[in-house]
Amino acid sequence: MVLALRRVGRPSPSPCQGRRTLKPTLLSAREVSRRYGRIVALAPTTLEVRAGDALALIGPNGAGKSTLLAILAGALDPSDGSLGAAVDRRGPKIGWVPQRPALYQRLSPRENLELFARLEKVPGPSGVADRFIGLLDLPDDGRLTAELSAGNQQRLNLAVALLAKPEVLLLDEPTASLDPRQRRLLWEVATQVREREGAVVFATQNLDELERFASRVAVLVGGELVFEGTLEEFKASPEADVFA
Amino acid sequence: MNKIGFLLGKDLRVLRRSPILLGALIVYPLVFAALVGAVVRYANDRPRIAFVDLDRLPETLTVGGQEFNVPLVLDQVNDSAELIEMEQAEADRKLGNGEVVAEIIVPRGFASRLRGMVESPTLVLKTARGGLSNRVEQQTQALVYGLNRRLQEAYIKANLAYVRLIVDGGTGSFLGDEFDVVGLTRAGEMLAEIERTTKDPATAERAHELSIFVREAKLALGASDESLRATANPIELQVDTGAGRTWLLSAQLQAYALALTLAFICVLLAAAAIASERDENVIGRLSRGLVGLSSLVAVKVVLAALVAVALGLVIALVFGILSTVFDVTGGEPWARLPLLVVGLVLAGAAFGAFGVLVGVLAREARTAVLVAFLAALPLVLLGLLPAGTVQAAHWISQAFPFAHAVDFFQSALYDLDPWKALAREAAWLVGLGALFFAAARLGMRRLLA
Repeated sequence: MVLALRRVGRPSPSPCQGRRTLKPTLLSAREVSRRYGRIVALAPTTLEVRAGDALALIGPNGAGKSTLLAILAGALDPSDGSLGAAVDRRGPKIGWVPQRPALYQRLSPRENLELFARLEKVPGPSGVADRFIGLLDLPDDGRLTAELSAGNQQRLNLAVALLAKPEVLLLDEPTASLDPRQRRLLWEVATQVREREGAVVFATQNLDELERFASRVAVLVGGELVFEGTLEEFKASPEADVFA
Repeated sequence: MNKIGFLLGKDLRVLRRSPILLGALIVYPLVFAALVGAVVRYANDRPRIAFVDLDRLPETLTVGGQEFNVPLVLDQVNDSAELIEMEQAEADRKLGNGEVVAEIIVPRGFASRLRGMVESPTLVLKTARGGLSNRVEQQTQALVYGLNRRLQEAYIKANLAYVRLIVDGGTGSFLGDEFDVVGLTRAGEMLAEIERTTKDPATAERAHELSIFVREAKLALGASDESLRATANPIELQVDTGAGRTWLLSAQLQAYALALTLAFICVLLAAAAIASERDENVIGRLSRGLVGLSSLVAVKVVLAALVAVALGLVIALVFGILSTVFDVTGGEPWARLPLLVVGLVLAGAAFGAFGVLVGVLAREARTAVLVAFLAALPLVLLGLLPAGTVQAAHWISQAFPFAHAVDFFQSALYDLDPWKALAREAAWLVGLGALFFAAARLGMRRLLA
């Protein structure tokens, strides 16, 4: 396991710190925070994401999981702190799947895929759209995205994030509106990203997904990172009660 | 630039998929332009004026032997002003609270002075201060001018009757006193008879001299009809109501129709388009290096400019065809189309930049559309106020592209030498557009929050 996530100000290094050097850092956040006026959505947080990581962000609603993912994705500027990465954080190597689909509702799934492929400068946008429509079993009957089911919209949301072959995939509660078969499909795709020396960071409220897919766990409560460690460490820690 | 093109293509495709919205956006401003044009025209033409008759004018007033039907005369005046008869106290109160814009008072003794034709009777005009008072004064001057012309005709007729009496002789009256006049014709005959029958050469000589004078006086007075009318009206205005464009095809209405359509469509469209990027949650994805925030603002501004050109050309086409079909003169609907396109691009972009600013501030598409409408409506109405009526309104309207778009379109389509006005208004539109663009770009981070 190559992920290290530390609570700000924590004096002692993570038990896994010794393994950090084994795999390259793909993405790092140093003391990043986000405030809306006097409201602190995310307290200063430091973490690193390395190749092969599957980091689960857990915590109650409003804990700051989506804010942290949006900052890591480069979609939201931190109020303080900085991001660093072996790859360009604004480049196409990070795939972001926000909780609410980020899609043009008045375009068809194919039109969405082709448009974002062109914006990502992916060669052969039509062929790429064909491939993802087949891979994620997306409807291709000319219907607009607004007319699709929540599950189909979420899979299209995932497809758009995968267009540029991301090295880091950021998933914000991606399975909330998916049926079991679609969930399986999503985790297969996420596993493929890990297997090609990428990493997956996902926010979830689902204990089963956490146990089956996560290699590391970070717990956020009230905008603060209160725990980080391996899945085993998490199970043994009092923070595991977050699912209680 | 390619990315701007891709997003622009997306926006146009989305717009094409909302035909009802597009139709409403086109029809609404056109109807609005016609209604506002009518309101502006008739509001300016017919101010409400209180009419206070302290002299209790009779139904029929005889001046110089000519009868005037007073209600009929007032009805004719109603073309240029709405005269409402009332008592002085009520008129004073209504002038005070703004229900009427002026008060015309007919003082006591007015009719008798008018009948006497010795001194001019006086009408009294009371107006409110500022606002429309200058305009009302002009309207009232026009009203008095109309009355004077009708009275002048009566005076001339009466004076000519006296002249005819002097020439032809007969019975006349002045200030109620009747008298007999021999007349120049009869006087000439009498002098000729004296000249012929007298034995005294000195008397015959004097009679001859008088005959010459009478003949010359008859000639001179015979021409008095034309000269009297010429003296009364040194310059006569000939009104030819069929020479210009009909009101519906007027330059003013066309320019207003174009500017109004653009003001609403471009502002609403740009505001909704930028806010919908946030509503659809796409702006976060785009801002991750796919499309810069400045480029995103530019996409919406270009979208507004493109739509402005398309709609503006349709409107210009309709006006041009109507002008050709009805063979109206006074404009160059076809030759000036390239200039018009320049104006449509500049105005559309300026309105679009303002719309993006509204959308960025409102953040949500529905709120953005409402705020855009609420912001555009008063700014457009301010631009409709004639210059010189309310100075503050004029200055505020200068900070919005509407008034400059109207002036640009009017100059582009109808001025013989439009270049100076076009350069000035184009500079205004570019400047305002750049200002709104910069402000919108500064606010774009609000959409990411």
